[in-house]
Amino acid sequence: MNNKAPRMVKKEDKKDRIAAILMLSPVVFLLLICSIYPFIWMFRYVCYDYNGFNATFTGTRNFTRMIADTTFWTSVGHTFEYALYKLVFIIPLALICAVLLNQKIKGTSVFRAVYFMPTVISSSISGMIFTFIFATQNGILNGMLMALGMDAPIPWLTSPDYVMSAVTVLAVWGGFGNYMLYFITGMNVISEDVYEAAKIDGANGVQTFFKITLPMLSPILKVVLMLAITGAFKDYEAIMVLTQGGPGNRSMVMFLYIYNMIFGSGLTNMTQPQIGYGALLSVVAAIIVGIVTIAYQRIARKLDDVM
Amino acid sequence: MKRAAKMLLLAGIILSLFVGPVFAGGSSESSSSDGKIVIEVWSEDRHDMEYVESKVAEYNATNTDNIQINLTIISDNFRNMLQMAYSGGTAPDVAGINAIPINMLADTGIAMPLNDFIAESPEYQKVNDPYNQIYEGTNAKNGNIYWIPTGMRSGVRVIYNKDLLEQCGYTEIPKTLEGYIDMAKDITEQGNSRFYGIGFTNASPFERLLEMVAEMSGIYYYDYVNGRFDFSGYKPVIELGRRFFTENIAYPDQQGVDNMRALFSVGMFALWSNASQEAAVFTEQIPVQGFEWGVAELPTLTGEVTGALETTPSKGWGIISSTDHPEEAWKVIEFFQSEDFLKGYLEAGYCLPSTDYMASVIDSSKTGRLADFALKPYETVYPKPPAVNLSGDDYRTVFWNAVMGYVDIDTAINDLNTRYNEALDADVASGSATRLVIKDYDPLHPDQGTPEYLTE
Repeated sequence: MNNKAPRMVKKEDKKDRIAAILMLSPVVFLLLICSIYPFIWMFRYVCYDYNGFNATFTGTRNFTRMIADTTFWTSVGHTFEYALYKLVFIIPLALICAVLLNQKIKGTSVFRAVYFMPTVISSSISGMIFTFIFATQNGILNGMLMALGMDAPIPWLTSPDYVMSAVTVLAVWGGFGNYMLYFITGMNVISEDVYEAAKIDGANGVQTFFKITLPMLSPILKVVLMLAITGAFKDYEAIMVLTQGGPGNRSMVMFLYIYNMIFGSGLTNMTQPQIGYGALLSVVAAIIVGIVTIAYQRIARKLDDVM
Repeated sequence: MKRAAKMLLLAGIILSLFVGPVFAGGSSESSSSDGKIVIEVWSEDRHDMEYVESKVAEYNATNTDNIQINLTIISDNFRNMLQMAYSGGTAPDVAGINAIPINMLADTGIAMPLNDFIAESPEYQKVNDPYNQIYEGTNAKNGNIYWIPTGMRSGVRVIYNKDLLEQCGYTEIPKTLEGYIDMAKDITEQGNSRFYGIGFTNASPFERLLEMVAEMSGIYYYDYVNGRFDFSGYKPVIELGRRFFTENIAYPDQQGVDNMRALFSVGMFALWSNASQEAAVFTEQIPVQGFEWGVAELPTLTGEVTGALETTPSKGWGIISSTDHPEEAWKVIEFFQSEDFLKGYLEAGYCLPSTDYMASVIDSSKTGRLADFALKPYETVYPKPPAVNLSGDDYRTVFWNAVMGYVDIDTAINDLNTRYNEALDADVASGSATRLVIKDYDPLHPDQGTPEYLTE
């Protein structure tokens, strides 16, 4: 009896392991062909000039080019700047909207749908829409500002001083509805009992938010922040449509620059695709995003310890 | 045991669902169900689709060579799609390859040389005049011809609002760039924010006026005699071009091409510049409303034309080397480049005729406003400078940044000279490019020199 029991457990374990392997195999297979293989495919070209047809081995030339490529490093700086602006506005806005729309008031679902709508619109379409909104001479935004008494139209998309504001507005508009839904979902998990206890203790709305809602939302907040950070670093589609990285490269972010390298600059049609160099820049960009994510996770863990 | 079998079955189904589509696709069939030989044809042109499709349908119904053309239009990412299809064994038999750089056709063997086919086809020679349409580095390399253009896109012209010009006291376009800018300034001042002198798009704006003014003034970015890039000649053109913005002459926004065309078409600014595609744009796509528009030659620095203006050979067909039916593929090219096909094509105004023969055959009164863009004696096709692996922005982007005042002109020129020549030297050393030298280069006839391709 004593000998039989462990053997039965072992048999069950083996069965479970086989089941797990079988169930995981489709996902692992997909991961291999859709993620690992493309990465290896791309990585093998980092030492080549490759235009899609011809590959020429160039040794370390792509590395030395990258180090001296001021346009790339400037675009990395712009990416950090853009990510900072986006995060500073999008997280508080999503949180505030989530708190407001989590009230038991009629019509909140309509607002939720409206705010979520930009998330399902293609970013290239939204980029196109915002070119009309931000147009200097006949744009809707300048029209409104002039009606409110502004003297001269603001060149939102053609001035290096204003273009980052325009790009940030588009990014926040396009993304905050998604994060708002995450927050609302997180709030729905918080027990009503906790709020009732706070009410009995005499806590007002602000105290309830900072002492109960926010701490209990912290697991969701951490996930949302991580998604927002990685998302902000990878954004480029809407910027490509809205400004093409201009004026004067002021809104050129690193993935837009990499796109231009790999596919050739679509605007001037003067450069040939540089898949090898673009692959190297992609690896560097992935490392940069990876470092930022790890740094964020460490900070988040330390904050947990403090809290 | 039963449970394990069930799980195995379930996992197998899931796996097959995922794996199935990956390996699905199948090989391309080269015969149709009625026994005809199917020739797959890829084109990246959507604007002429209606005409081409109707002629293809006619050909499929009437040809006696037992050929069926299967036409596919791929207007986005054509180059990459063709490359992927070639690598995957699913490339078409014939493709419109005029926009693909020659090094991607010749050095890779993707396109088949057409020399032998052309030599044996007197009708093709009569209509297409192939031996006078060989542009080294564009459609031919080392004696091999890969495609012959069936039409031309003109060089850049000034397109102007006649009514607005007359209203402001002008009847013609000045010959010098300075005079042109002065006129644009005067119109903007008279417009007082109701209309402007000139408008620029954000899509390659340097190419649409100032670069071509420089070309006609004998300034080019590649020094053919010495086989080096040299951007120093552009300084006076950029200095003058800056006035458009420092003196608030230009319409205060640079939007996409179609947006700016739409603004021109409603009279928001008087001067616009682009090539012959604008003929169809301003008559069909975005018709000009309520005013007469004219077409004029570009100004130059001194008022004299001292350099050739670049034209673009278009609509050239090539045979992809992986085809199983090269003879039939050539017959299809003969059809696309036949007198019957081209007469309708050119009379529909899709492009300008590239041969004297076709120019004499077509009824130019049917081509509409395209006639205003007829080729000038100083227009030609430049030998293609080497395509280099460049880090950072290309010269058109950098020079427009200089025009806008984002970067100093001398700094921009030094930066471009350094980056382009470093890239050229490195590419020549690695073997991914060759240095083009034309010792007897003439800026007014750049296509008539003797090209040499050096490996050092």
